[in-house]
Amino acid sequence: MPSQEQEQTKITVILPTNAYFTAGIRDFTLNLIKNTAHFGEKWAYRFQLIVDELCNNAIEHGTKAGEDIKITFIYSHEFIEISVEDNGNGKNKTSAKEMEKLVEERKNPAYVNAGIRGRGLSKIVVNWTDELKFEDMPKGGLKVTAKKLLNTPKSEDINAPMESTNHIILK
Amino acid sequence: MTEVNITVEDVQTGKENTFVKLVTIVGQLDESNVDEKSTMIYELISKTPANLSLIFNLENLEYMNSKSIGYLTDWYGKISSANGKMVIVKAKPNVADVLQVVGLTQLIPIFNSLEEAKFAVLNDAPATPEAPAAAPQA
Repeated sequence: MPSQEQEQTKITVILPTNAYFTAGIRDFTLNLIKNTAHFGEKWAYRFQLIVDELCNNAIEHGTKAGEDIKITFIYSHEFIEISVEDNGNGKNKTSAKEMEKLVEERKNPAYVNAGIRGRGLSKIVVNWTDELKFEDMPKGGLKVTAKKLLNTPKSEDINAPMESTNHIILK
Repeated sequence: MTEVNITVEDVQTGKENTFVKLVTIVGQLDESNVDEKSTMIYELISKTPANLSLIFNLENLEYMNSKSIGYLTDWYGKISSANGKMVIVKAKPNVADVLQVVGLTQLIPIFNSLEEAKFAVLNDAPATPEAPAAAPQA
């Protein structure tokens, strides 16, 4: 009988640091999650945005123009995990510790974000995943990993289709 | 650059000194195009410094990233501080989902029809979907 680890599928994509290519990785993510991983359509759209936000951060902060970022998808019946790794030579390089502090500050409900940026990780990725991890890599890059677990109380709607929009009810 | 098209139309208000524009966004708003496309909306806001309300028709907006949401928030701040309202009509479920997770639907409500959206921006009632059902416009 195969072990849990053997049942995992791992896909790695290397992407040039150009915002143009992130549209392609969004399409790839949507189709991967819809057709292969054990998540419904609603979560396929959510992961599409999660991947885009992680890639944009890696391109904007951690990697020089013309170089590459590395995107890794690992999924099984238990979880899906997406990592994006920059090479650490970008103009706004940020350490894992600095990122943790930034996200911690911004995810506080009392934090008021008056800027254009700063919602991707702290509002979208944090709310839609179970784990968000930052690691300084030996060669100087930053690796950001977002993981969503199946079979947890938070994942009860994991197979949900995308519902059509009625009025958004204000809470 | 990812394809996106933004068009702006005047909405007849029947009210003096009240300006409503319908902004229709078709395509995908992402890192490759949002900075450039946002200038159009900033120009629109700066040309009408007061009493301007915006209705965003997102029926055919397939995708928006967090920076696009940042711009929407900024436009909301400018519009609301100049006595205007901002609402969304017909957002796709994935777009509505992200607007909700960042908390923007608390500020910018989403309506199912243009009639409801117009009613909300042209009447004194708060621009929320819980407002009374849209009445025919005069």
